[in-house]
Amino acid sequence: MDLFCVEHKKLWSRGSVKISVLLCIIYIVVFGGILQYQWLTLGSSKDITGSHFDGYEYIRERQEYAKRYEPLLTVDTLSEMVSDYQRAGKNGDDKELKKTDWSVISSWLQTLYPELQRPVIYQLMVGYVDASALTDMYARRQTAIETYMDASGIKGREKDYLLSMNAKVDTPFSYTWTEGWRTVLASLIPDYGMIIAIVIIVSLAPLFSGEWRDGTGTMILSTKDGWRKDAVAKMGVGLAFTTEVFTLVAVPSIIVQMVFLGLSGWDTPIQCIKMLAIAPMNMAQAEIYEYLFLFIGITGFASVVMLISSFFKSDRLAMMGGFAILIAPMFIAGHLPYRAQLTLDLFPLVGNAGDIFRMYTLNVFGKIVWLPYLEIVTPLLFVMICIPISVMRWSRMQKA
Amino acid sequence: MVLSLDRLTKTYANKKAVDNLSIEMRPGVYGLVGGNGAGKTTLMRMISAILEPTSGEVLLDGKNVADMGADYRDMLGYLPQDFGYYPHYTAKDYLHYIAVLKGIPRREAVSKSKHLLDEVGLSDVANKKIRTFSGGMKQRLGIAQAILNDPQILILDEPTAGLDPKERVRFRNLISSFASNRIVLLSTHIVTDVEAIADRVLVMKNGRIVSQGSIRDLLEEVEGHVWEIAVEPSETDKWEAETTVANLRREDNRTILRIISEDPPSDSAVSVPATLEDLYLYHFPTERS
Repeated sequence: MDLFCVEHKKLWSRGSVKISVLLCIIYIVVFGGILQYQWLTLGSSKDITGSHFDGYEYIRERQEYAKRYEPLLTVDTLSEMVSDYQRAGKNGDDKELKKTDWSVISSWLQTLYPELQRPVIYQLMVGYVDASALTDMYARRQTAIETYMDASGIKGREKDYLLSMNAKVDTPFSYTWTEGWRTVLASLIPDYGMIIAIVIIVSLAPLFSGEWRDGTGTMILSTKDGWRKDAVAKMGVGLAFTTEVFTLVAVPSIIVQMVFLGLSGWDTPIQCIKMLAIAPMNMAQAEIYEYLFLFIGITGFASVVMLISSFFKSDRLAMMGGFAILIAPMFIAGHLPYRAQLTLDLFPLVGNAGDIFRMYTLNVFGKIVWLPYLEIVTPLLFVMICIPISVMRWSRMQKA
Repeated sequence: MVLSLDRLTKTYANKKAVDNLSIEMRPGVYGLVGGNGAGKTTLMRMISAILEPTSGEVLLDGKNVADMGADYRDMLGYLPQDFGYYPHYTAKDYLHYIAVLKGIPRREAVSKSKHLLDEVGLSDVANKKIRTFSGGMKQRLGIAQAILNDPQILILDEPTAGLDPKERVRFRNLISSFASNRIVLLSTHIVTDVEAIADRVLVMKNGRIVSQGSIRDLLEEVEGHVWEIAVEPSETDKWEAETTVANLRREDNRTILRIISEDPPSDSAVSVPATLEDLYLYHFPTERS
């Protein structure tokens, strides 16, 4: 335990670690959180140049407005939403228009009623579609899912598997104002991984390699506990650090989210964000999944970075290695066959927390498994593989 | 306690840094002298069980130190030539860190660190960051960390580099008082340090021990090969180019040259008593101590 404590203290005593963690928190909590809610994404639109700095009040107005359509999303409530939007448009009531869930409603209409979409009209579908034509909403959703599967080459067992998942989605959907949840689940959390990964590279790439830069490597290796015990302590510190950074990012982010959005709509199904999603999840479950994906992903990524660190005696090379495993998959993926791309997604932080909205599957030893399930398991395998190799790499006599 | 090097060899890309070296060391202070590239650091790293020999073994009381692992390292203190430290650490924090690595209990580590910082004259700056230290202060901290665990085997690679004369005297006294019943191996270019504290001297050249023994034994080896001659100042360069000149000094209008040579360099040459520095130049004629 003493070794863990001194290694932990050493890691946090480095200026680069403190600065990178601080910048990460500022970026995610302030720029990726507070400013998104208050201004950039959920502030009321000013004109084409941007938004007002009024997110907090504007969110409340929209949540209040959406209550008139609660608790269930049916053909009737959908028609009502469309009619109310169009009436407000005719009356030139911009204030009323802004309160509507226009963006989400338009995406539903495009998905469920594509034949009603007029080409070459630069207007939101919610603005012109005939509300009385919006019939058989959930039957159309089922058809749209199957059409999408056919177009994507999803068939046979894979199709049955995904349809059986979809069968667990309760209909009709419960409804509350959705835009806030869409911002959180489809936009904010999926982007956190890249930022935290950079902090992990800056902080953990020098974990082993930095000892050679500082010239302390030989001295540590000449001490009683400087081999295996110290290497295990270092790996433990790396994983603890990852947990700490995650906590420092996730807790304030959730608090900010609670302050701006509240708990309202936690039990709304994620299909309100993306109509064709087949996962039987509500918003709270999806958020838990995304944070879990993030935590396990960065843990797996950290263990790979530490493994790279144990292979180099230059922390610059170790950092370059860390950035390479972060960036290279993006470049490689485009050149790979579809199944190989999905397999690559299993590497920590290569996949996306937003995959819960998609129909990706992989065949694992003959069993078809939804990709998001695999994406939160495989990084743990990386942890289990990387830790012993890193410890072995460090705790041995140097050959040169 | 016997530390044996048995046919120890380390090869780097066809170059033998240490070449089939065998030696036995018992408690005492061993001075390892040799020119640059003689293989001293490589040898010390192998004795410290950090570097894997290409062949041969390091044995402590007959046991291979590689097999002894942590038990051997528990008996070891090592100051590398390129002593590493964390610039943003204080001297106290640094010693505490090393103490934990050496498996010293916390309470003992605190009192031991305090005592050693006092011994090496750093107690006044114990809470200052190492980045503010002079080269000599850093070196003293390095010495303190090496003896933190009361090692039975102490390996010091160039411990006096960067120390001023006063600090060197302090270092010699520290090692002399520390050395009883322990094996201390120190390498240095400063032969006067070896002269002052080493019981035995190992002269290393091209990866081999070319000479070893007590200082008296070794001086006997070079006795009769050290000469002094008086020459005109204008002739100094010529003598320096043609012979190994250990020293020169002005006396009246003449220059007195101290020359290492098997034979008298001139008819007027006078044989003088040898020093360890002469021995060093005898073996390494191209280097000046």
